[in-house]
Amino acid sequence: MSGRFSAAIDYTLALAVLLFAWWFATGPMALPTYLLPSPLKTWNALVTIALTGELWRHLGFTLQNIVLGLILGCIAGIAIAYVMTRFPKLAVWLDGPLVILQTAPKIALAPLFIVWFGFGVLSKIVLIFSLVFFPVFVGAVAGFRALDPKMKDLSKLLGLSSIQRFRQIELPAAMPEIFVGLKIGAVQALVGAVLAEWMAGKVGLGYLMTFAAATYKTPLLFAAVLMTVVLGLLLHVALTILERRLLSWKGAVNG
Amino acid sequence: MSQSERMIDIAGVHKTFVADHGTVTALEPVSITIREGEFISIVGPSGCGKSTLLRLISGLDQASGGSITLDVSGRKRPVGFVFQEPVLLPWKSIIDNVRFPLDTSGVSRAQGDKTALDLIKMVGLAGFEKALPRQLSGGMRQRAAIARALSDDPPILLMDEPFSAVDLLTRDNLNDELLRIWQSTGKTILLVTHSVEEAAYLADRVMVMTARPGKLKCVHNVELPRPRGEETKLDPAYHALVAQLRRDLRTPAGEAH
Repeated sequence: MSGRFSAAIDYTLALAVLLFAWWFATGPMALPTYLLPSPLKTWNALVTIALTGELWRHLGFTLQNIVLGLILGCIAGIAIAYVMTRFPKLAVWLDGPLVILQTAPKIALAPLFIVWFGFGVLSKIVLIFSLVFFPVFVGAVAGFRALDPKMKDLSKLLGLSSIQRFRQIELPAAMPEIFVGLKIGAVQALVGAVLAEWMAGKVGLGYLMTFAAATYKTPLLFAAVLMTVVLGLLLHVALTILERRLLSWKGAVNG
Repeated sequence: MSQSERMIDIAGVHKTFVADHGTVTALEPVSITIREGEFISIVGPSGCGKSTLLRLISGLDQASGGSITLDVSGRKRPVGFVFQEPVLLPWKSIIDNVRFPLDTSGVSRAQGDKTALDLIKMVGLAGFEKALPRQLSGGMRQRAAIARALSDDPPILLMDEPFSAVDLLTRDNLNDELLRIWQSTGKTILLVTHSVEEAAYLADRVMVMTARPGKLKCVHNVELPRPRGEETKLDPAYHALVAQLRRDLRTPAGEAH
């Protein structure tokens, strides 16, 4: 408990130093606002869009895409990994195409996704999905393959149904590795969401950034960037809480 | 040895594996009849097919020929199995692990809890119901594994070197507890072990197996009085049997590696 407390102090201190450096650059060093807006101007820009409701619309859109992409990517990653470990013959067929897809830079495919799936929500979710899928898939394959053969004996002895076996033994056993993939995927998801919004559409934090940059509203740009940082932190915290709940049996889980 | 009902009938059971260089005989034909409530030890060196025999009886592996008949009147799970390692689910507490066979066969939670608590008490783990497996010692985990194997009350308990991973003192204790559990439940127990002392101490009959190819060499009746305890280990008859088992295992076949 005291360790967590001192960690909080460390975080706050680091943040304060950063804020001070920022203030120093804009105040005493007098950098122009179009290059670096002061903390106060950024804060004001943030409060303004928060009060008009614009912020919540953009933030909500980005968050919704990330969450949907994460959930769909996880389900697909776990499902395909499971099918491949259960039916090794299928793996021979799927391995090649999956390696090609995995090594392809998904970001570079983003324009293609827009051509295929339009300017709306769908192309964005597809991009996020493609970024989340592979780390989760790779983690899940590792997790399912590492299953102790004695666990298979146990499920056979108990005559478990396929569903019981998956839910009670295979999925929880693979969860630590799946989580490694999920944490990588979550970072990628944020990148993908912002990037997709840069390229198309009229809503989302990414769109807000391009709009602010194009109109030289640097304080607004900074506010939008700060919100993506906050979003990243929120995702990290949410996943850490989930990990603590699901993987507490592993012993010390490092946040 | 008062019971005479046949619980396990093994007739000419053998097992061969297909390997890279042809077929490997894991177990030459074995025939033996095991009575209800009997405690059988199976002793032999590595590669003698003793674990194979246990896996065949449990249905985990299929025999290449011969037949195994269990008199268990169509139960879904006729055998409880205790592995060399506890094989507990690490994310479940001890009580959840012990109750697991009941949970997965549709027994109500209340009934399952009652059974699991009784078993946990019987194996001496009272107070550790809520603990996770990693918080327990190796011997305690193996006790939990025994409780789990007994939870849906199978008539037959198969144990594959269950105490080989625990220290000797713990092993002695667990042996005595196993005898107590056997006496209070009346299960038919087959226990595979490397240790001739353990085999002689526990069993009604000891099956001696030799390696390459794995086969049943002989079966000894153990005429030591029950209940057994520390005085059994001072009994000259016990020492004679242990010495005999050693000689049986020290044949050319047993020494070939």
